[in-house]
Amino acid sequence: MLRASVIERLAIATASTALALLIGVTIVAAAGYDPVQFITSMLQGALGGQSAVARTLRFSTLFILTGVAVAVAFRAGVFNIGVQGQFVVGGFMTIMSIVWTAPLLPEGAVGGVGLILIGFVAGAGSGGLYGALPGALKAYADANVIITTIMLNFIATGVVGWLVQNPFRGEGNAAPNTERIPEYVSFPSILFDSSGFSIVGLAIALAVVAVIYVVMERSRFGYDMVTSGHQESAATYSGVDAKRTVVSTMTLSGMVAGIAGAVFAIMIQGYYTDPSGIGTYGFDAIAVSLLAANNPLGIIPAGLLFGGLESAGSHIGIYTDVPVQLIDGVIGLVILFVAVPELFRMAAVRTGLGGEKR
Amino acid sequence: MSDDAAGDNRVRNAALVGILVVAVLAATALDLPIVDIVTIGFVERSLQAATPIALTAIGGLYAEKSGVFNIGVEGFMIFGAATAATTMWIISGGSPGQGDVWLAILASVLVSLAFAVVFAVLLIRYEADQIVAGLALWFIGLGFGPFMAVLVWDSRNSPSLEGINDLTVPVLADVPVLGPIFFDTSPLVLFTAVLAVVAWKFLNDTRYGYWIQAAGENPEALDTAGIDVTRVRYAAVIFSGVMAGLGGAVLLAHAGSFTGTGETMVSGRGWIGIVAYLFGNYNPIGAAVAALVFGGLDMLQIQLQTVGIEVPNRLVNLFPYAGVILVLTVWGSTRTPSAVGETYESEE
Repeated sequence: MLRASVIERLAIATASTALALLIGVTIVAAAGYDPVQFITSMLQGALGGQSAVARTLRFSTLFILTGVAVAVAFRAGVFNIGVQGQFVVGGFMTIMSIVWTAPLLPEGAVGGVGLILIGFVAGAGSGGLYGALPGALKAYADANVIITTIMLNFIATGVVGWLVQNPFRGEGNAAPNTERIPEYVSFPSILFDSSGFSIVGLAIALAVVAVIYVVMERSRFGYDMVTSGHQESAATYSGVDAKRTVVSTMTLSGMVAGIAGAVFAIMIQGYYTDPSGIGTYGFDAIAVSLLAANNPLGIIPAGLLFGGLESAGSHIGIYTDVPVQLIDGVIGLVILFVAVPELFRMAAVRTGLGGEKR
Repeated sequence: MSDDAAGDNRVRNAALVGILVVAVLAATALDLPIVDIVTIGFVERSLQAATPIALTAIGGLYAEKSGVFNIGVEGFMIFGAATAATTMWIISGGSPGQGDVWLAILASVLVSLAFAVVFAVLLIRYEADQIVAGLALWFIGLGFGPFMAVLVWDSRNSPSLEGINDLTVPVLADVPVLGPIFFDTSPLVLFTAVLAVVAWKFLNDTRYGYWIQAAGENPEALDTAGIDVTRVRYAAVIFSGVMAGLGGAVLLAHAGSFTGTGETMVSGRGWIGIVAYLFGNYNPIGAAVAALVFGGLDMLQIQLQTVGIEVPNRLVNLFPYAGVILVLTVWGSTRTPSAVGETYESEE
């Protein structure tokens, strides 16, 4: 896939998504639901009206951030499947740091901005540390990153779930939730008057994309990261410490995941709850990143697409009988097809649409 | 075996002994009642918990030995469990009996076989990225597994179904210790124990077993000897998919109901299966023993409760995952077969 041109990648991404959606619709029809109605409500859920668009953009913001977190690692050849865990740890620490420091700062806008900054630092820092751990285990004990990060996802969900239920449960809360952060710690509503989405969140996501793009494509550090991922011997020969690079890659990836967690915590929830019920942004992000061929700029359209899918999913979950789990399955199919570019190359050759014969 | 590998093994064994000694010392120092924790009931429960992991591990080991990393076993397990649950419900009209349990396991194996063929074609014929495709299979399982449950029960979880009955072998069941552990328990435990030995024998002492190993270590040589490398790899990958599907079905048969919330009832057992065979150094018996370690960690919660040690369930449930990280850290650098992950194309 590395050698594929941009157009080929775009074609593969489009074909994968289309094929996965087609299979999804076929399954809907086979299960006895009306496929036309299904497609209409998908479109309505993603784009029908201001609140649907706000919801789509809310999910897109999270997918863009978590997608970039995945892309940083995958681009460097490190399979960080642990973005979900880093997202959870980052979000939880964001809430707790704000709850703990709120009494020390003045109330109102100034205090709000200060607390948001503190929250972001805590989120990025803790997410980065939680990513650095499997990175160090890989670098110095050769422990498979895929498996350690998956295990750390389970551990993050379990430990944070226990913490919000017991020691950090807000006083008098019936539900297993932490204390709420103060009202004035929130993003302003500009353009969209929707709870749970602010254009500021999206702007933060786009700014992170820009920063990561510059780091990956234009800096010495990014260059070392990518080369040590794909040509380890060449990188070592030119004096790059491969072990340290793995650790810093995972730290950077975890930091971005932590920022995603902070945006989720501040923009959407305002408190932290049992992470087993908050959605699997960190997993779906893998699909987002792969669809974008792990290119930071490609994450933006891929994140918008997945935001639309997720938003459509929550719409059909409410207004139709079709089980919303279908969307998760379709996302899996997208990843599967992206993994098999050869399938499309052969299909293209056979149908005369292009592709080189070997 | 090279000196290097022998040295690795010595380090591993020393580390294992070291961990055991530390565990015993810690238990003595904290005055833990070891005798009350490691009961026959605990071993029996641990073996039942280990069975699905061991089946998955043995299959995955064959695939990797043949040169293909089947990282999709977690997904196969989810499909196996979901298929077994829905089949059991549908064929029995909602009130399953023992016969339905066995039919459900069989159905699950057949469905896994079909999926495994498709997956093997994508991996081998269409040269899919093994890691990404394997992850994809997990996500597909996480979506469509609960989807099946919702179609049948309108809920991600099934109502109570039928679990498998214990098989009591006359006479043998009365043997102290071994009797209750192997001959008065789920028949699937004994089946898995036998299968682990057979799989080990097959891999090391039959011609086909050698072919599988050669396909992963030195495909060119196998090709030169006139054996179709691709065909051997197909067989191994399909076998691993079927074994993981069976593992999922067995997990369901032991649990007696399907859970589709969160990461489903499989909850990482496929990933643990992969670690089990790494820990077992690609030996089917070693993999089964490693699975037992994880099964034991999974069942520790009940034992701690019975001896009155209060640790929150939510945290004790994380022991197997922490165990996996520990194992990978201490035994991380296993020697994988040299051609794993590389597609092989014959010169002809």
